[in-house]
Amino acid sequence: MFDRHTRSRHDLRQPILEAGEELMTKRAVVAVMLTVAVGVVSLGAQHTLAAKFDVTKPLTLTGTVTQIDWANPYVHILMKVPGQPLPALWAVEVEGPIVLTDNGWSQASLPIGETIRVEGYAARDGSRQISGRSVVMTSTNKPVYVGTNGTPKARRVATGPTPRWPSGQPRLGPPPGETGYWGYPTRGGLLEDGVNVQMDRYGLLNNVADASKVAPMQPWALSLYRERQRTFLQRDPMYLWCKPPGGPRQFQQPYGFQFVEQPDFKRVFVLMGSANRNRRIIYTDGRKQVGQVNGNDDNPVFYGQAVARWEGDTFVVDTRSFNEEFWFDNGGLPHTEQLHLIERFTRTDMGTMRYEVTIDDPGAYTRAWKSTWNLNWVPGEETPYFLCMDNRP
Amino acid sequence: MRGPFTLAACLTFAVATTSGAFAQDAGAGQGRAAGAGGQGRAAGAGGQGRAGGQGRGQGRGAAAPSAPTPRWPDGKPILGSVPGQPVGGWGAGVTTLPQGQLDKIPFQPWARAAYDIRQIDQFEPHTRCKASGVSRQFSTPYGTEFVEVPDLKRMYIMDNGGPNSYRIIYLDGRSFPQNIPLTNYGYSIGHWEGDTLVIETRGLNEKFWLDTRGTPHTSQLKFTERLTRTDMNTMRYQATIDDPGAYTAPWTTADFNLRWRPGDELFEYICQQYNEGPTLMLGSQEEIDNTRFFVP
Repeated sequence: MFDRHTRSRHDLRQPILEAGEELMTKRAVVAVMLTVAVGVVSLGAQHTLAAKFDVTKPLTLTGTVTQIDWANPYVHILMKVPGQPLPALWAVEVEGPIVLTDNGWSQASLPIGETIRVEGYAARDGSRQISGRSVVMTSTNKPVYVGTNGTPKARRVATGPTPRWPSGQPRLGPPPGETGYWGYPTRGGLLEDGVNVQMDRYGLLNNVADASKVAPMQPWALSLYRERQRTFLQRDPMYLWCKPPGGPRQFQQPYGFQFVEQPDFKRVFVLMGSANRNRRIIYTDGRKQVGQVNGNDDNPVFYGQAVARWEGDTFVVDTRSFNEEFWFDNGGLPHTEQLHLIERFTRTDMGTMRYEVTIDDPGAYTRAWKSTWNLNWVPGEETPYFLCMDNRP
Repeated sequence: MRGPFTLAACLTFAVATTSGAFAQDAGAGQGRAAGAGGQGRAAGAGGQGRAGGQGRGQGRGAAAPSAPTPRWPDGKPILGSVPGQPVGGWGAGVTTLPQGQLDKIPFQPWARAAYDIRQIDQFEPHTRCKASGVSRQFSTPYGTEFVEVPDLKRMYIMDNGGPNSYRIIYLDGRSFPQNIPLTNYGYSIGHWEGDTLVIETRGLNEKFWLDTRGTPHTSQLKFTERLTRTDMNTMRYQATIDDPGAYTAPWTTADFNLRWRPGDELFEYICQQYNEGPTLMLGSQEEIDNTRFFVP
């Protein structure tokens, strides 16, 4: 299992570290909340490091800070590096504002005019960008925007029984009067259940030779998947153009999501902390899966047309009408407009949501297949504020 | 997708966002254009008089006879959809915040200059698919939906246009936290004054315009909105701008009316699906790196 506490983006293909855990009980209205103190809060905002940087090309630079671009998805330090005939302006990419804030950093942590020494990797495209694996202020010899500044924010987890509506039906969101969201997905990329293949939280395979094992792909889909993996997922439309993470991908995102149930209107919203704070609407009013404006005029779409029903304690969502303009998986598994999803959500206790998705896409796969992971409840917190478009032109 | 649209898509989008909003304000009954499948196309239709689709067969031309303000069991007005009735949304109604009193607005000189130049150079962040931010979301042609969640003591405002975003209004009596990060939507807290929901917002960044006409603000802005559903079909909207960074005194807008659109469901609209504006104005994402973006 990985989560945002255990690895930083730079721990590429390293074994996952177990965080030191210090448990402390707190009584809440419904749940017992546990606070887990951890070393460094690391979450990873949007793409795997290797998508943009060549991890075989280490680079060390010293320069003077001219500007901090404190924006999603990644904070950039602009610095002037002396050179002949003219100094050059470089951008240093560090973690996003959410992770840096959780670790005690702020925009003011690094004053303009400071001299910094940066160790990292060079950008693949040859532009003057470096990943900031180590950023040290030369005046104090102290690191900045890497590791923690003081005590990092502790992660809280929730335990206790599944909260329920008066009707007895499980609540997908917070108990009345409370706050919380679903985050920390236990899987970062789609992988057929039962297959043992290693990938990072962005869905990047440790070994591209494993590609054919990931799911029962048709030959063209396997070729495309391999190509996307070989190029380190750098052509991801979500990364390049902030296109929405439709399908199961919305439940693989580091900033999580919230369910808002509206029994009065027979619908459930999925409100995402990632993408651009997008919403997806799941209807439980027995409607047909057609476009909402004029028959099928507004199909196909990024989030599809979703209808749902309850089977016992499981919320079963049926979705069709996807377009092909996005990746429905962090790791770049392909899909077509024929994609049909059955997603099963089972809140097994206060803190755990089991997510089981059946992928039926005769356009890209040889048979229907299934992938399952868990999401964890983050009590007392709002989904982090993330707008992908923040530092886009 | 990347060929023929380009400039036309960008420009029609910009036109639709502004003229569409004015059309809404004038109360002309339009169905919205085709919708989520193609913003470029939909926006084009919108710019040409919005003779698009009919939402679920409901003509929106004739104003329904106005029922009284709907209320929750506790007597508070319902600001969004009414349980037991089909959902609905609010059309755009806010045009330009200084409307009717431009000469009386206490602009600082730079802010007035910025306002004037923006009348000519409408390089608005919204045309580049940035999230609408506070009052701007009541100017988008596709409108908003208010989703009240009483048992969580909050309301969501779903913005149909733009990049498909939502805004949270806390109604649980909390106060503002320390060190609010600056964002397009800020941190919004609502309280009731009689039948009026007063929403106070702090922590707004400077990456959006307050309205389609570019009324300037700074991150010092304390923004107060007053929402009153005067009857079933009408939401009165008024804002107070308290921003010592851009104005010499706080000022309050005239009243604007948002119109109820019964049966108007949220639909999927992703601004950046076909928007070629950024590519045209600045080059493609692949061509841009942060050094080039920042290097003067």
